[in-house]
Amino acid sequence: MTATTAITVAPGKARPSRRAGQRFDWGQPVVYLVALAVAAIAVGPVLYVFISGFRTNPDFFTDPAGMPNPWTTDNYARVLGDPTFWRQVLASTVTALGTTIGVMLLGVMAAFVIARYEFKGRGLLYALFTTGLLFPLTISILPLTVLLRQLDLFGTWWGLIIPQVAFALPTTIIILVPFLRAIPGELEEAALIDGASRIGFFWRIVLPLSMPGLMTVGVLAFVGSWNAYLLPLFVLQAGGAASEDYTLPLGVQFYSTAYGQDTTGVLAYTALAMLPAILFFTLAEKRIVGGLQGAVKG
Amino acid sequence: MNRRSTMRLVTLTAATGLAVAALTGCTAGGGGEGEAGDTTITWWHNGTGDPLKSFWEEVASEFESENPGVKVEVEAFQNEDLQRTLIPNALQAGGDAAPDLFMVWAEGEIKAQVEAGYLEDLSGLTGVIESVGTAGTGWNVDGKQYGIPFRYGIEGIWYDADLFEQAGVTENPATFTEFGDVIDKLAASGVSPIGVGAADGWPAAHWWYQFAIKTCSPESLQTAAETLAFDDPCFTEAGENLKTWMDEFDGDLPFQANPTSTPAQSVPNSSAGLLASQTTAMELMGTWHRGEVAKLVPGAPAENPPAPEWLSWMPVPDIEGAEGAPGAALGSGDAWGVYADAPEETLELLEYIMSVDVQTRLAETGEIPTVAGAEAGITDPVLQQIAEATQSAGVVVTWLDTQYGPVIGKAMNDAIVNLMFGDGTPASVPEAMNAAAATL
Amino acid sequence: MTALDTAGPAVTAGPAPTRSTKRSARRRARTWGEIALLAGPAVLVYLFFVLLPVLLAAYYSFFNWNGLGPLDQFIGFDNYTRLLADPVFHRSVFNNFFIVVMSLLIQGPLAILIALLMNRRLRFRGLLRALIFVPYVLSEVTAGLAWQILLQSVPPTRWGPVDTLLRTLGIEDPPSWLADPDVVMWTMFGILTWKYLGLAIILMLAGLASVPDELHEAAALDGAGWWQTQWHITVPLLGPTIRIWAFLSIIGALQLFDMIWIVTGGGPLNASSTMAVYMVGNGLNVSQIGFGSAVAVVLFLISLIVALVYQRFALRRDLAGALTGGVR
Repeated sequence: MTATTAITVAPGKARPSRRAGQRFDWGQPVVYLVALAVAAIAVGPVLYVFISGFRTNPDFFTDPAGMPNPWTTDNYARVLGDPTFWRQVLASTVTALGTTIGVMLLGVMAAFVIARYEFKGRGLLYALFTTGLLFPLTISILPLTVLLRQLDLFGTWWGLIIPQVAFALPTTIIILVPFLRAIPGELEEAALIDGASRIGFFWRIVLPLSMPGLMTVGVLAFVGSWNAYLLPLFVLQAGGAASEDYTLPLGVQFYSTAYGQDTTGVLAYTALAMLPAILFFTLAEKRIVGGLQGAVKG
Repeated sequence: MNRRSTMRLVTLTAATGLAVAALTGCTAGGGGEGEAGDTTITWWHNGTGDPLKSFWEEVASEFESENPGVKVEVEAFQNEDLQRTLIPNALQAGGDAAPDLFMVWAEGEIKAQVEAGYLEDLSGLTGVIESVGTAGTGWNVDGKQYGIPFRYGIEGIWYDADLFEQAGVTENPATFTEFGDVIDKLAASGVSPIGVGAADGWPAAHWWYQFAIKTCSPESLQTAAETLAFDDPCFTEAGENLKTWMDEFDGDLPFQANPTSTPAQSVPNSSAGLLASQTTAMELMGTWHRGEVAKLVPGAPAENPPAPEWLSWMPVPDIEGAEGAPGAALGSGDAWGVYADAPEETLELLEYIMSVDVQTRLAETGEIPTVAGAEAGITDPVLQQIAEATQSAGVVVTWLDTQYGPVIGKAMNDAIVNLMFGDGTPASVPEAMNAAAATL
Repeated sequence: MTALDTAGPAVTAGPAPTRSTKRSARRRARTWGEIALLAGPAVLVYLFFVLLPVLLAAYYSFFNWNGLGPLDQFIGFDNYTRLLADPVFHRSVFNNFFIVVMSLLIQGPLAILIALLMNRRLRFRGLLRALIFVPYVLSEVTAGLAWQILLQSVPPTRWGPVDTLLRTLGIEDPPSWLADPDVVMWTMFGILTWKYLGLAIILMLAGLASVPDELHEAAALDGAGWWQTQWHITVPLLGPTIRIWAFLSIIGALQLFDMIWIVTGGGPLNASSTMAVYMVGNGLNVSQIGFGSAVAVVLFLISLIVALVYQRFALRRDLAGALTGGVR
């Protein structure tokens, strides 16, 4: 590989290198090339989807790999004018927000107990939650549908939110516990001397101080819910919810089956469904990565 | 709770920021007592596209206006979702969650629902049952009628008359030998002779079914369906005959390339799409195929696409010297079933749907009706041809996967695809069926 | 859990050395009340929606049940023996481990290499990182549908976008990406690499950020080349990050469902089936809930064993027994 040889030669003998970038670095252009290639491969298919959304179907099938000729905004206009699409955006937003709020609230309360109370069974409680990392949805999806059916939650947004909260709890608690642990004991003593109860300490001091950790778990829960497919498939679709009540991933799939003849229309729908995730989640990249690291490492 | 009003509430409250509170009671689907009328009938069908979608809604509102106080909620779902997940789940949930009137498949498929006690015995609707005649037998379980078919027909070979002409085919094949010549001519003219959506399993499996009903005697088929034992050597022979026929051709022929990644419907690169774009010349399919092809014709309008003029139909050719019943054909239909706890008005709605008037109008939308007298509504010559072929068929054998139920059906279809396009042997098909039957 | 080992404020619910036992009893009751109030909701939701379904799955797996009628046909281990004898299930397990091994062998080193190259001051570094991260933030459904459209081809006349592109580049006869049983898992691995390589790179970059520059300088002063420095100093220090990534990758590959279900549905001829795809296709979709549950249980056991082995040999230092030992 040329990249490595070029780099090996450059900083080696000539001069003791200090920091990359301080002098002319022959590796630099190679690095740009590699990084650009990786970025192009990553973004290429996504760009293709967006651009092909501007094509007509006959044009698409004449040359599937070509550029739009002519460009048309019809597909995008049609999707954006489709109330079902907006209802699905709403469904995704409401269920993702519900999941996020639920997970943050239940998670921080439980993590507070694990982090700041000494009691018998604390270790067990913590182990109980961490084991949950090994219980992914795939395993319990069948009984879960049976359970939701009996609770009359099948086919409803609640039936989606509550299990999502439950399944996000392990990660949340693993991330939050060290955060809450790190709050100095003096703060708590001071609060207690001022006459606050433990609960008061929790509300007035712990919650604000754990905001960065809460944001991280919130972002993770939101992304997880926004992109979820398996649970909505079983809870909403199998539960008989109308397609307007589907979340976006499910809605995209439904659209691609129902209007599959319209390939560029499907591509436009897919592109618009991708857009919110790309806009918001790439901005939250640091939190997502930090969160994933934290989820495993603690 | 009415879904539309619930959703308005959701939109409203969510907009004011009370996202979580908004979720209360957002039960989709649902039925039972509505707030407007005294009785609400929930009706689930698979007509997700027009003209059927509007037609059923029209029928529902006609019934509503003639029966004040009765509200009919019609919902359309994708076919497989409806049968495989929605209906079983809704029936299990019971009560308001269960639809009152819904589509049921025949024989092995309806049996599980009958055994679980979810279906109303419709034997009392003698007039309706008589009017559909022998088409209704597939929904008769132990002498009781649990479903009334509203459309019914046999499958055949849909073909492209233009491509046939181009290839110099002047006469439709009557036997498999002649069929082979047609395939050779088509291949020589540069088109893929037959399209098959083997990614979905069943479209490929139907070729085996055709060989099975032409290889097995009606008695063997009857016994197999009753005992779910597939030990008759004819099931292996059917696979051998199919394989021998396929091996007569070179390479991918007689089918198009990449059959196992080609789905059957809905996308341009499906087998229906290939026929619609005149890439393939023939396809073995049921009566629904006319509509599937129509909407995939390049440049077809989104609303009520017309079937292309070149789209023609012929019965599946006979295999010379085969032991099966002469004139045996594969077919089935869709029927209405009624939930055991459905409001009694549901039966009236069913009778209305099955009236000659509604059935005639159904025929006008491009379906083959079941009620005697309604065939007058069929205007399309191709559908008239299918209706006549259905009438004159010696025996109509229900799709084998429907007969044997989903478990054996899936095992059988998987094994057939593996026989046709993988490394399966003719014997592996009945073996897989027997193994699946053992798990029931 | 280092954070937990350094003990926090010790408010104990146990017997405290107070003068009045009555008062301590009251305080203890109050502490327990608080614990119940705070942790109760999470515990309940968790027990009911995570643990209970797993137990129910284990229970259903001993029955022949179509999900419709009553649960009354106890068949012992029949579902398991049937499952373990099914070549399609063997294929599914193989496919899961194919993805596990390929990810570790190819995605990991590739991500480390790219991260090492990118670990320097670059203009537009933030933008490049964001672009590389894009596939990861997409839902598997949208990404899968896009790939399905990109790859689906019906030669000789209906070439898909990717094949059309390859043909203009002179590759006349591209592989049947989704139709050839021998090719399809490589295709799926390619798609998964596209989807998850960015995350791996960003994780590695985050890990590299904590490697002090001084170490490099010292090594460079010793006359070590860039490549030697990276190999002997940086990569070992990246250990914890690599182990974390590998853990996420392994668990993800064992649970693989969405992408396969969308792109191939497990086909052709079950060649791309995974355990989870098998469970849905042969359990839920044919109304064999008991059998599907047995698949779920086996899937869980395999995940558990792999996780425990991995933790025992690789993750021990990082996790400090978070999965088994709990808080010590």
